[in-house]
Amino acid sequence: MDVIQTKSLTKTYDGKGGISDVTLSVGEGIVYGFLGPNGSGKSTFVRTLLGLLQPTGGEGYILGEPIGTTKSREQVGYLPELFRYPDWLTGKQLLESHAELCKIPARQRSRRIEEVIELVGMAGRETGRISGFSKGMSQRIGLACAILNDPKVIFLDEPTSALDPIGRKDVRDLMVYLRDQGKTVFLNSHLLYEVESVCDNVSIVHQGEIVAQGAWRELMMTEAQVEIVTAGTGAVQFPPFIKSWQKGNEEEGRTRWILQLEDERDIPKILHHLSSGKVDVHEVKPITPHLEDVFMHWVNRKKESAYVDNR
Amino acid sequence: MWTIGKLTVKEMISKRIFLITIIMTLIFLALYGTAIYFAGKEGAEAGDGGQGTEAFLMQQFVASQLLGVGLYFSSFITALLAIMSSVSAISGEVSSHQIDTWLMRPISRSQFVLGKFLGLAFLLIAYAISLFFSIIFLHQGIGAEWMALDIEPFQMIKAVSVFAIQPFVLVAFGVLLSTRMTTLNAGIVAIILYGAAFIGGFIEQFGAVVEKTSLVNIGIVMSLVFPIDSMYRKMTILLFDSADNPLSIAQGGMFTSISTPGNIMVWYAVLYGAAAVVFSIYSFKNRDV
Repeated sequence: MDVIQTKSLTKTYDGKGGISDVTLSVGEGIVYGFLGPNGSGKSTFVRTLLGLLQPTGGEGYILGEPIGTTKSREQVGYLPELFRYPDWLTGKQLLESHAELCKIPARQRSRRIEEVIELVGMAGRETGRISGFSKGMSQRIGLACAILNDPKVIFLDEPTSALDPIGRKDVRDLMVYLRDQGKTVFLNSHLLYEVESVCDNVSIVHQGEIVAQGAWRELMMTEAQVEIVTAGTGAVQFPPFIKSWQKGNEEEGRTRWILQLEDERDIPKILHHLSSGKVDVHEVKPITPHLEDVFMHWVNRKKESAYVDNR
Repeated sequence: MWTIGKLTVKEMISKRIFLITIIMTLIFLALYGTAIYFAGKEGAEAGDGGQGTEAFLMQQFVASQLLGVGLYFSSFITALLAIMSSVSAISGEVSSHQIDTWLMRPISRSQFVLGKFLGLAFLLIAYAISLFFSIIFLHQGIGAEWMALDIEPFQMIKAVSVFAIQPFVLVAFGVLLSTRMTTLNAGIVAIILYGAAFIGGFIEQFGAVVEKTSLVNIGIVMSLVFPIDSMYRKMTILLFDSADNPLSIAQGGMFTSISTPGNIMVWYAVLYGAAAVVFSIYSFKNRDV
């Protein structure tokens, strides 16, 4: 069953901004990345799913329940991007209030609160007032809130924005832990490396529209490149299925080439072609594209298709 | 709903302004008690030589005026506190984004609004009732025999019930405004309406003294727009109008009532507050936060 499902979900403000026509399905037990630059509509999408914003079009479901209903939020946890909690409460009191709202049985509350405090690395500091918390501590207590009710789906909106490198790693580990527990984590982020390191599936969102979605590994294969070092310094006859090539430096009688391929799976065919042409190959190294390049590739592709459509 | 209500009460109590309000209230009560003590003492000394109806009327007039002043000021500070605490009830949470994590829980918007309203109304009504009885007890106790008025317990209960309608209406109205406006705008609207009701009340009383129907009608219209001052006037009628006393001391002056609101006005005020709560729920139901 899809944990999150939207069909042409739209939330615009007087026809502008927000998100448009977002259709996606998120399965169970995965970390799903919602990747896009600041202001691309990521938070608007999550806030619409959680009923904080009223959609202007389309429909959405969480665990089969229509968004906006209280039932759709029963098995949900959320860490907002702008995490603000009542600063007159202590961390523990905040969790107790949320436990009450989530209807966690009174007898289980203390144990569950202790568990989540431990999980987010706040043990020993939970009795302090939130007003005295650093941003990082507030974000950690927000994470504890998000997972307090043992939800099936957890929305994390830029969950590491206030954390130091150790904190970021902790959060990544937590996401993996939750996924291993069978939970679905919906991660909003503009940090490509964050998404890359934990996400199974990804949507790339730009200016309120999804420009690409699918398995992260597949999206990464935008333009396969391979670096080849051949013997000699003369010209080499490359096979016709190679999109383009560029000659690099010459060193110790060897030449370095950068080849642009349609598909990374063409590499063995290239080697076969070169060996048939009596070209000695010293080194073959697939080049992993820069994350920024992948992102821009999909954004540009969307722009190009929009341009063609408009014509 | 109850969780939100409890949190609202806790939040109010935890704020420094609450502590300041309590301290200032105690200072006000101390000052009032001191004034009543000396007024009672000097009144008794000055009244030793006076006898008969004239002296009795003077005693009743002064005593009812001083009690009226105390209650009027109590009504005023309760109103200000009710306005200041309720106009940010929703808008403050929205602007700070604190509301996000509450509303994403499996509670409805109406439960949230009701919780906020109930928490604030409970606290403000409790404050109003405490202040009412503090003033009555100071007046009747410290003012001693000369200052004491003939007020039956049942009169007090009826009067305090009407007195408590004021914070009920103000909190309901403040919460309604806060579902649609920023805290500042809501505060300005509520204060202006309260001021208009306050002025309208005086115009109505003055109109009754000079027997000008148009002035009385202005006051009545203002009472319909914002039924706050009329509740204060009604309270004084219930408190001072002794059935045993043929000389109704309710006809006492600007801090008591000359033009008397009817019982229907009490029901109107209660319905007004209830309608404001219903509109708050409706107003907030589909609002983006």
